[in-house]
Amino acid sequence: MKTKTWILIIAAAAVLCAAASAILLGGTAPGRTVEILLDGAAVRRIDLNAVTEPETFTLRSAGGGTNVIAVEPGRIRVLEADCPDLLCVKQGWLSDGVAPIVCLPHRLVIQPAARESADAVSR
Amino acid sequence: MKRIQKKHRITAIIEIVMLFFVSGCIGTVHGQQEKSISFFAMDTYMTVRAWGVSDETLAACRAEAGSLEALLSVTREDSEIARLNRDGRAGLSPATAGLLEKALTLCAQTDGALDISVYPAVKAWGFTTGAHRVPGGDELAALRERVGWRRVALEGAEASLAEGTEIDLGSVAKGYAGDRMLSILREGGAVCALLDLGGNVQTMGTKPDGSPWRIAVRDPRTEGNIGVLETRGGAVVTSGGYQRFFDDEDGNRWWHIMDPATCMPARSGLLSATAVGDEGTVCDALSTALFVMGAQKASAYWREHGGFGMILVTEEGDVLVTEDLADRFSMTEGAGGSLRIIHRDED
Repeated sequence: MKTKTWILIIAAAAVLCAAASAILLGGTAPGRTVEILLDGAAVRRIDLNAVTEPETFTLRSAGGGTNVIAVEPGRIRVLEADCPDLLCVKQGWLSDGVAPIVCLPHRLVIQPAARESADAVSR
Repeated sequence: MKRIQKKHRITAIIEIVMLFFVSGCIGTVHGQQEKSISFFAMDTYMTVRAWGVSDETLAACRAEAGSLEALLSVTREDSEIARLNRDGRAGLSPATAGLLEKALTLCAQTDGALDISVYPAVKAWGFTTGAHRVPGGDELAALRERVGWRRVALEGAEASLAEGTEIDLGSVAKGYAGDRMLSILREGGAVCALLDLGGNVQTMGTKPDGSPWRIAVRDPRTEGNIGVLETRGGAVVTSGGYQRFFDDEDGNRWWHIMDPATCMPARSGLLSATAVGDEGTVCDALSTALFVMGAQKASAYWREHGGFGMILVTEEGDVLVTEDLADRFSMTEGAGGSLRIIHRDED
C-alpha cells in the first residue's frame, strides 16, 4: 500500500484509541457530589446536580454549635452559623468543585467528593 | 514503503492499534496507589495526598503538623513562641530557631513589608478574638513604637525581644509545615504529592500520569477562581484581605494583613498576592510581603530578587502575572478584568 494509506490508518487508529480511552477511563458526565463532614465523620452526601428544589437543614456539632446549610441546584453554602467568626458563612457558595468550606470551631467541612477542573485552590 | 504481504499488513495494522491503546492505559496507571489524609491542625484544615507511601508516612505528616503547632502557636500558652512573648526571652529548639532566623532574613529582605512583630497590631484590631474594632490615632502611634522586626534578636538558639514586642510566626508556619511534610513524604518514597494546608498549596513532582498539577487561584471578589496555574513541583501561596475582614459602621473594610509601618490594615491597591516558588516557607512569607508592598513595589522587588513568580489581583480586578509564569497560567473565562504580564525589563 502507499505510504499515505499507512499514515491514514495509523491516524485513524490513534483517534479511535483516544476516543475509546476517554470513554472507558474518563467515566460518565460528572455529578457534583459533596460530602459534609462533622468532626471527620461523613454525615451527608449530596449530588448537587441532582438537586431540583432548594433546601436548608441544620447541623449541630459535638460542642453544641449550629450551622444552617443551604442547598440549591448545583451549589451549597453555609447560610447561618453561631461560630464567632462566621468565616464559613463568608466563604459563600461552593460551586467550583475544588476548595472546601470549613467551619473550624464546629469541625464542619463541606468538600467536593471528586476532583474537577483543578487539583487544588490556592487561597 | 516496500510492498508488504496482505496478511502481514493486517497484523501490522492490528499491532499499531493495540500499541496506541495500551500506551494510553499505561500512561494513566503507574501501579502506585493514592493515599490521602485530612485533619485539623495549626488552626486550619489540612489535606495531604501522596502516591507510593505507607499509612505510617501519612500519619507522620499529621504528627509533624501537631508538633509544629505545639512549638509555634502564639495562642498556645506553652508553645515556645508564647513563652518568648510572655518572658521577653527564651531558648528555642533548633526547628523554631531555624524558622525564626529564616523569617527575620525575609523581613530584612522585604524591607519590613513582612514583619513578624506586627502581632500587637493584629490583636488591637480584634482579629485574634473576633471583637473587631478600629483603634484611635493615639493607640496606633503607641503600637508603632512596639512594632519592628529589628526589635527581635536571635543569637544561636537564644531569642530576645525589646520591651513591648510580641511576635507571631503565622505568616511562615504553614509554609514551613508544608516543606517539612514534603521532606517526610520524600523520605517515605513519594514521587508525587499534593498538599492543601488551609489554602497553602504545595506540590511534589507531577500528577501520576506525568501531567502538571492544576492549581486554581481564588478570585478575591467572587466564590470562583481567577485562573489556573500549571505546576510541576513547588508551592503556590496566596495572601489576601478577602478572607478575614470586618466592615465598620462607616462602611470601611478592614482586613487582618497589617502594614507594619502604619499598624493599620495594608491598603496598597491589591486584593490578593500569590507567590510561586520552590519553598513553602519562602512563598508563604512573600505572599504576605507582596500584598503589603502593592503592585509597583512588588514588581520592583521581583525584578531585583527573582527566584519566585507572582500573580497579583488589583482592587480594579486586573490580574498581573510575572513573565516566568505567563505560559502556564490561564485566566478563567469571565473572571477579572485585564491580564497584564510583568516583564523583567521595565515597560
